[in-house]
Formats: sequence, C-alpha cells, structure tokens
Amino acid sequence: MARETPLLPVEDAREMALFFVVGALCFLAALATLSAKSTYGAARSWTAEVEGELTVSLPDADRRGAEEARQIIEATEGVREARLLSKAEIDALLEPNFGSRGLPDSLPLPQLVAVRADPEVDFMGPTLERRLTEAGFANAVDEHADWAGDVRRMLAIARLVALTAVALLASTAVAVIAFATHAALLARRDIVDVLHLAGARDRYIAGLFERRFWLLGLRAGAVGALLALGAAAAMIFAAHSSGARSGLLPVLSLDLLDVMILVATPLIAGLAARLAARVTVIRSLKSVM
Amino acid sequence: MTLSRHDLFDDVAVRLDSVSLRYDTSEDILSGIDLVLKPGSFSFLTGASGAGKTSLLKLLYLALKPTRGEVSLFGRPTSRLTRDQLSALRRRVGVVFQEFRLLDHLTAYENVALPLRVLGRKEASYRHDVEELLAWVGLGERMHARPPTLSGGEQQRVAIARAVVTQPDILIADEPTGNVDPEMGSRLMRLFLELNKRRGTTVIIATHDLGLVRQVEAPVFRLQHGLLVQDVEYGPAARRRTDIVKAAE
Repeated sequence: MARETPLLPVEDAREMALFFVVGALCFLAALATLSAKSTYGAARSWTAEVEGELTVSLPDADRRGAEEARQIIEATEGVREARLLSKAEIDALLEPNFGSRGLPDSLPLPQLVAVRADPEVDFMGPTLERRLTEAGFANAVDEHADWAGDVRRMLAIARLVALTAVALLASTAVAVIAFATHAALLARRDIVDVLHLAGARDRYIAGLFERRFWLLGLRAGAVGALLALGAAAAMIFAAHSSGARSGLLPVLSLDLLDVMILVATPLIAGLAARLAARVTVIRSLKSVM
Repeated sequence: MTLSRHDLFDDVAVRLDSVSLRYDTSEDILSGIDLVLKPGSFSFLTGASGAGKTSLLKLLYLALKPTRGEVSLFGRPTSRLTRDQLSALRRRVGVVFQEFRLLDHLTAYENVALPLRVLGRKEASYRHDVEELLAWVGLGERMHARPPTLSGGEQQRVAIARAVVTQPDILIADEPTGNVDPEMGSRLMRLFLELNKRRGTTVIIATHDLGLVRQVEAPVFRLQHGLLVQDVEYGPAARRRTDIVKAAE
C-alpha cells in the first residue's frame, strides 16, 4: 500500500485564499518590522552623531580673534575637537538660502567654530558661553542636541507606529487563521464527527488541523518574507541609485538582524497558525460530548 | 481511571437509568428510558420512523448527552468521565451509521482502516485483516474505490466493515441492511451473530426490517411515543411479538 492518505483532504480553494491572505499579512508584517528596525537604527546613529555637537557663532570676531576663541574652546574640559570653519564652508552652509554665487565680501558674516564635545558632559553650551564671554568674545552657542531631541522624539513616535503596525498585522493574521480554521472545521465536520465517534481524542483531531495550518502558515510566511526581502532589496537599490542624499531618512539595510527577522517571519506565522488552529478545534470539540 | 477490556466482564454492558432526551425546546424525544443490556447480548430496536431510534442509539454510542438520567457503559456512568475516558469508551463501541458517514477522499480500504489509524496502529499490522474483512463483505475487488463511486449497498458494507474492524465490545447498527439485497442482508446478520457468539460482542440493531428481526432469536425493544417497550422473550415468542408490533404499526 502506498503512503497513507491524509485524514484531512488536501487543501482546497478556501485554503489557497487563506494562503494568500496570510502571505500578504506576513509580507506587510516583515516589511513593517524591517522599517521599524531601520527607523530605530537611523534614529540611534543620527542622534549619536549630533549628540555633543555644537556650533559657536562669533559675530564680532575677525579671523585671528576667532582662532583665539577656538583655542579657548578647545582647552575647555570635555571638548574633543574645535574647528574654525573656512569661508568656503560658511558659503556652502548658506548656499541653500543665498545661491551658489556666494556672498559679497563686504557682507559681515560671523566666524563659526564647529565643536565636538563629550556627549556625557552636561551644560557644555552654557560653559562655553561663559568662558568666551569672560574672555571678551560676543558669542552665541547652538547645541545641536536641542533640536536633535525633537527629531529623536519624532523618530520614537515613528518607531512606535511601526511596532503597532507589526502587532496589528500579527494579531490580524492570527484572527484570520482562527476564522479560517473554524470555517475549515465546519466544512469538515463530517470527518471530525467520524473521528470523534471512532474514539479519537480531542488532541488527535486538533493535531490534524494543527499540522495542516502549521504548514500553511510556514509556507505563506516564507512567501511573505521573501517578498519583503525583495521589496527591501529594491528600496536599498533605489536609495543607493539616488546617491543616498536622504541623510535624515531611515535607510533599509540587510544585516544579520534583518535576516533573522525574515527567517523568524514564517516560523512565527506557522506557530501562530498552529496555535490558532489548536485553540479553535479544541474549543469547538468541547461543545460536543 | 483506566478502562480495559476486563470491564467487559462487568455485569452490565449498557445501562440507561431514567434517560430523557430533548432537542432545544421541543418535546422529549425520549422519556424516562430504562434499559439494561448484558455483555454478549444481542438485541433489536424497532419503532416507527421518528420514534427516536437513532436518538437512542446516539446516546448509546456517546454522541449525545441525555437531558436527564444517566447512560452507563461497562458499569461507568458516562456523565462522570473525562473527555479522554469518553474517547477510550468510544473505541470499544463500533457504529454502523444509517447514513454510512464514509469519508469521500479515502478509499474503501482506508475508510475501514480508519478506526485502526485512530488507535495508532501501523498499516503493516492491519493490512491483512482489513483486506480479508473487505473480501468477506464482498468488496475485495473494490477496496481501492472511493465511496462516491460505490453503490449504496457497497457503501453500507464498507460502513459495516469499518464498525467491526476493531472487534468492538459493543456493536451498534442503525438500519444496517437497509441498502443491501436479502442475501447480503443475511450474510451481514451472520457476521453480527458471529461477532456476538465468538467474541461476546454486545450487539444492538435498530431496524424497520421485521424480516430481519425474525431471523434471530433475540429480544426486541420497541420505541413508541418516546417510551421504550422492553421485550426479553426469545425464539418463537419473539417472532410472535414482532408480528404484534407489525400489526400495531
């Protein structure tokens, strides 16, 4: 005799529809997870970059005075580097506002010192302001961390939204599978009844549905994860092709953690499907003697 | 509680104490039924259509809970058993359903082997028995056919083979000869009698076929208006009684 025929008939059109829905949900969930993770990564790297960065503006100083101020700044405890910006660098900073032809030499511009300080040191801005004022320099200190905080908060919200989307998609997938299992159970009530009356235990009958939906979840999850991988790869390619000028935007990457997310997607889908099937079948069987 | 074949030797195979059954809010289908079947007994259940024969059988093969009263199998009150214990009891009961309940995606062979698969038996261990049983019911050549391609009579024989393949302690059959010719009907009755005599299987057959009832010296229980009329006479007395039942119907 050849291999035993499964007690549940091979999948029908209803299961194909479920396969499509679970696959699509897994695709969205994987993509949302990758986005959440890259948003988190971007927020971390970007804020780490600007943490401890300051710009000191010296409106009344000439180049020599500015160099003297730079030395005072650099000598301050907690400062790692202080660099006087060149005229070309200042022109480049102002280019978005005043165009590429530069500013007339007659126009007075403040001297700017770019400062990199230890982010762990508190009150760096006020300390520099006080020291420069004591040395007789009119100055204004701009701590990048002040507005980096706003960006950080915004990114945290974006991350929360992405995680909520992942949770919603996952719970939707579980609900859809539970619904589909219930429908499958009703459609195959004849099989369930015969097995039940032949003395099959509840967990034996549930096991048939569990195996079926575990495989369905696994396969649909794998397809969804592969599509998410394709979409992520396309986005990475598009970002690289555009010259990667989107410095503030989260950029998708594919590192080990991303691969783990993609590998975990079908496993989670399979387990969720299995669990949903088990709970649905056991609950349904308990309604009969 | 572990249930074993030794329970067969309990004093009573089936016991119904003041059992009533009602579906939803309707009238009682069965009312205050008392019934005792000894292990190894052979009984008929008759009654007009809608008298509640199938409902009574459902109580016996543990598909339904009584609305009131207690159903006990092998001395075990079923209301006190866990789900696993009920499953274990069901494995000792073979059922021939009126509507056969064969699984269309399985072959005749696989349908018959189904209870053995549920028991966790390996195919190699039961293949010969199942093939022999199918040959005995005249389906040796059709064992790989699926139910939709079988005639009503063939399906009925598959259903009967499935019910007896585990050599159950109780065999419950609902109109088991309804779709077979008289010759096959007699043959199936001989199978039931053989199981009853050789293995001590308790057999309960619900039937309209009084001709079938007359073939066997066995008590006849008749359902009428939800009540069970017990008749424990044998032989010619049983034949006389079925004539009376026939006249009454």
